[in-house]
Amino acid sequence: MKQAVLKSPAWFGARSHTSSALLSVAMIPMAVIFILVIVMFWISLQKGAFGTPSAIFTFANYHEVVSDPFVYRVVANTLLFTLTATFFALLFGLPIAWLVERTSIPGKTLVYAIMTLGLLIPGIYTAMGWTMIAHPRIGILNRWLVNLFDLSDAPINIATPIGMGFVQGLSLSALAFILTAQMFRAMNPTLEEAARVHGMNYPKIIRRVTLPLARPGIMAAVIYIFTIGIATFDIPAILGLGNRVYLLSTFIYLKVHPQGSGLPEYGITGVVGAFMIGVAALLTLWYSQVLRQGHRFEVVTGKGYKPALIDLGNWSLAAWGFIAGYAFISKLLPLLLIAYAALMPYFVPPSLETLGQLSLANFYGMDWHLAMRGLWNTAILVVVVPLVVLLLAFTISWLIVRSRSRIRYALEFGAFLPQALPEVILAIGALLLSLFVLGTSIPLYGSVWIIAIVYIVARLAFATRALNGSLLQIHRELEEAAFVAGLSNARTAWRVLFPLIRPTLFSVWIWSALLVYRELTAAVFLAVHDNITLPAVIWSYWYSGNINKASAVTLLMTLILAPLIFIAWWFGRRSQVSLN
Amino acid sequence: MIATRLFALTLALFSLTAHARAATLAEIVEGAKKEGSFRGQWGQNSFGGSEGFQELLAGMNRKYKINLKGQYTPGPDMQRLMLRIIQEATAGQPASTDVYLGNAQAIFDGLNAKLFTTMSYDKFIENQPKPEGKFHAIAPANTHVAFGTAVVGIQYNSQIIKGNDIPRRLSDALNPKWKGKIASTPYAAGLREFATPDFLGREKMIDYTKKLSKQIAGLMRCGESERITSGEFLMLVFTCGGNDVNVLKRTGAPVGHTVMEEGTVLHMRYAAIPKNSRSPNIGALLINYLMSAEGQELLWKHDGMDLHLFPGSQTKRELDGLRAAKGKIIINSPEWLATFKDYSSTQKELEAILRDGGK
Repeated sequence: MKQAVLKSPAWFGARSHTSSALLSVAMIPMAVIFILVIVMFWISLQKGAFGTPSAIFTFANYHEVVSDPFVYRVVANTLLFTLTATFFALLFGLPIAWLVERTSIPGKTLVYAIMTLGLLIPGIYTAMGWTMIAHPRIGILNRWLVNLFDLSDAPINIATPIGMGFVQGLSLSALAFILTAQMFRAMNPTLEEAARVHGMNYPKIIRRVTLPLARPGIMAAVIYIFTIGIATFDIPAILGLGNRVYLLSTFIYLKVHPQGSGLPEYGITGVVGAFMIGVAALLTLWYSQVLRQGHRFEVVTGKGYKPALIDLGNWSLAAWGFIAGYAFISKLLPLLLIAYAALMPYFVPPSLETLGQLSLANFYGMDWHLAMRGLWNTAILVVVVPLVVLLLAFTISWLIVRSRSRIRYALEFGAFLPQALPEVILAIGALLLSLFVLGTSIPLYGSVWIIAIVYIVARLAFATRALNGSLLQIHRELEEAAFVAGLSNARTAWRVLFPLIRPTLFSVWIWSALLVYRELTAAVFLAVHDNITLPAVIWSYWYSGNINKASAVTLLMTLILAPLIFIAWWFGRRSQVSLN
Repeated sequence: MIATRLFALTLALFSLTAHARAATLAEIVEGAKKEGSFRGQWGQNSFGGSEGFQELLAGMNRKYKINLKGQYTPGPDMQRLMLRIIQEATAGQPASTDVYLGNAQAIFDGLNAKLFTTMSYDKFIENQPKPEGKFHAIAPANTHVAFGTAVVGIQYNSQIIKGNDIPRRLSDALNPKWKGKIASTPYAAGLREFATPDFLGREKMIDYTKKLSKQIAGLMRCGESERITSGEFLMLVFTCGGNDVNVLKRTGAPVGHTVMEEGTVLHMRYAAIPKNSRSPNIGALLINYLMSAEGQELLWKHDGMDLHLFPGSQTKRELDGLRAAKGKIIINSPEWLATFKDYSSTQKELEAILRDGGK
C-alpha cells in the first residue's frame, strides 16, 4: 500500500496546496513540542533562582546528575519498574484482547465495559487498594500469609520497584488490551485456518502461527507501554515516595517540589528531562521501525473479510474466570475501596466494626463550589481537547500516510515524542514558558488553556497512531474519485474519509475524552485558581491527607461519567462503531 | 556570617518599614469594601481548608458588617506556595493568594525575596498579645503576624501504642521494637530545630537522625494522619505540630500526640500580605480577624491550634504543663532562623540522611 502511495506523485502534486495548508496546521503542535523541548534544554543549563538575575548559565547541572550515585539507583529502579509494568500489562491485556477478537467468548461488550471503566479510576486508588492488600503491615494478603504459614515477617512488599510495576501493569493493561485488540482484529487468520486444516491443535497454532504473526504488533505495544511506564507518576508517587523508592518521575517531582529547604532545582529537572527526551527519541525511532516491519507481516485484505472465531466451548468459563479475576483486582477492589473510604470519617482498614461508622458526612462536608469549579474546567477540557486532538491528529496522519515528502518522518517522530516524556516535564516547560516568556502579553498562566495545550500535545501520539493505521487501510483511489467528481478537499474529507474512518475517529475521541477526564499530573503543576480541574481537586484532598473527602469526590466523578460512557456505547453500537 | 545575615534581614525589614502603610482599621474596612472579593490559597489540611475559609469569610462579614466575596482554592504545602508566590512576583503576575498563611521558614524566604507589603499591624490589630521574651506576635517591621502555635512532638496510633509504649523521650523512638514500623518527614520536621545550638546541637542530631533513618520504614508529610490511623506507620517522628491530631481525635480516630520530655519546638503560623496581592486590605482585615477571639476560636475548631500568647488559649495550657516539667521550649520564627548560619545546610543534610536510609 505504501508503494502505491509513493507512485502517485501527479495526484499529490495536484493537491499540493492542500498539503501546504494541512502542513501549516500540523506544524502548530510540532512547534509547541519543539518549544517545550527547547525550554527543557534551556532550563538544564541554568542554575540559581529561575527567572531572576541570579540564575546563571552553566553545565554544572549535568555534572551534578552524572556524578550523583543516587541518580543511578533511580535509573535502575525506573528500568526494573518499567519492565515489570510492561510485562504485567501484557500478561492481562494481551490474552483478553485475543479472547475478545479471536474467540467466541460471550459478553464481549461487558469486557469492553470493564476495560474502559477501569480507565476512570485514578491510579492513586489502584495504588491505595494494593497498599491495603499487600502492604507488609496492613496488607490483608500479608496478614493472611503470615498467619497461615506462621511467618515472622510479611512475605510480600508492594513498595518495591517490582511491586509498583505490578500495580502499574494492572493499570496499563487496559491500554495493552486496546493496542493488541486492534492488531488481532486486523490480522488475517488464513494461516491459522491452514494450520488447523493440517491438524495443529490450538495451543500449537497460537505458539507457531498466531504469536509470530502478532510479534510486530506486540513489539509495538511493548515499546508504547514501556514509554508510558518510564514517564508514569501517580502510582510511583503514592507507593514509592513514602517508602523511599524513587523513580525518574518522582525524582523530578522532588527536585521541582523540594520537600523541605531550598529552591526548586529546575536545572536538574532539565537534565533529567533532556536525558528522557534522548530515551524517548530512541524509543520513537525503534517504534517507527517496528511499525514499518509490521507492514511486511500483514496479509491484509481487510474488506469483505470475516475471520473465523475460535469456539471456546466450556473453556469460556475459564476465560471469564481470568477476566473476572483481573477485573476484581484491578477495578472492583479499588472502586470498593473508594466507596468505603468515601463513607468513613477517617481511614482504617475495613472490618466489621468499622462498618458501623459509615455515613454520608464527607459528601455534606465537601466544598461543592470548588468541586463544581473543577467539574466545569474538566468539562471544558473534555469537550475541547479531544476535538482539537482529532483535528490535529487527522492532519498529521494524513500527511504521514499520503505525503511523499521526507517531512512525514519528522511529523511521525514529533507526534510520538511527547508520549515518552513525563507530563511533569511538559507541564514544567509550559509553566515556565507562560510565566517568564509569555508573561502578561499572552496570559496563559493560570488559565485552563495552558492545561489544554499540554493535554493536546500529550494525547497526539495515541491519536496519530490510531489514525495512521486507519488511513493506511483506505485506498487513495476513493479520494481521487471524489476529487475527479469535483468535490472540494473539505467535502472529500467529510463525505469520503470521515465516514470510512468513523470507528477510529469515535474511538480516539472517546479515549481522549476519558483520559482527559481523569488526567492529573499536568493539572497539579498548572492549576492555580480559576483553572483547577476535578482530578486536581481530588489530589488536593489526597495530598493534604484527607483520603475520605478525596474518595467522595472520586466516587462522584465516576458516577457522573459512568452513564456518559454507557450512552457512548449505545450510540457506538447503533452506528456500528466499536469503542476499539 | 551570622552578622551578615542578620544585617541583611534587618536592612530588608528596615527598608520595608520605611514604606509601611499607616492605616486605621476603619480605613482598612473601607479599602476592603472597595476591593469586594479576595482569593485565598493554602493547603486543604491547613486552617480548615475549604470549610475554614468559608467560616472565616462569614465571620469577617459579620464582625465588620461588610459583604465580601471569596474564592478558596487548595494549594500546595506552605513552602511550595511561598516559592510559587515569589515566582509569580518575579514574573509580574498577581499572587496566587491575597494573604499568605504559613510557617516561619516560608516567611523567612519571603522576607529575603522582599515579597511582603508592610501594614501598620501594630496600630490597627485590635487584639494584640503581649510579647514573650524576645518574641513578638507582630513583627517589629510590620511585615508579618503570628496568629497560631503548633507544638512539635510524636504522633502515634493510639490503638496499637498504649501505656508505657508511648514515647516520652527522643531515644524511645529508637527502640528496636519500632524498627521498620515508624516514619519521619522528608523535610526533617523537628529534627532540624533540635539540631540548632539552642537545643541539642548539630552533631548530636546528625547522629540521632542516622539512627532514626535506619529505624524508619518510610517518609510521610505532616497532615497525612490517615497513614497513622490505618496502621501503615505506627508513629511519626516528629510532627510539624500536634494540631491536626487535636482535630482528628474529635472524630474518634485512633491517634495521639506526645511531646518529648527534653522539650519542644513551637512552629508558629504566620500571616503576611504579598506585594502582588490583589486585595491587600481584605488580607489585612483577615489578619485582624484571625487575631480576634472569634478568629482564634475558629482556628481551634478547624485546625486544632491557637496562639499561645493569648491568656486562656488552649495551646498555652498544654505548654504550661510542659514548662512545669522543665522541658525546653524554643520558638521557630523568621527572626530566630536568621540567627543560624548553617540552619539550611543542616536541614539539607538531615533530609538526605532520611532519604537515603542513613547510609
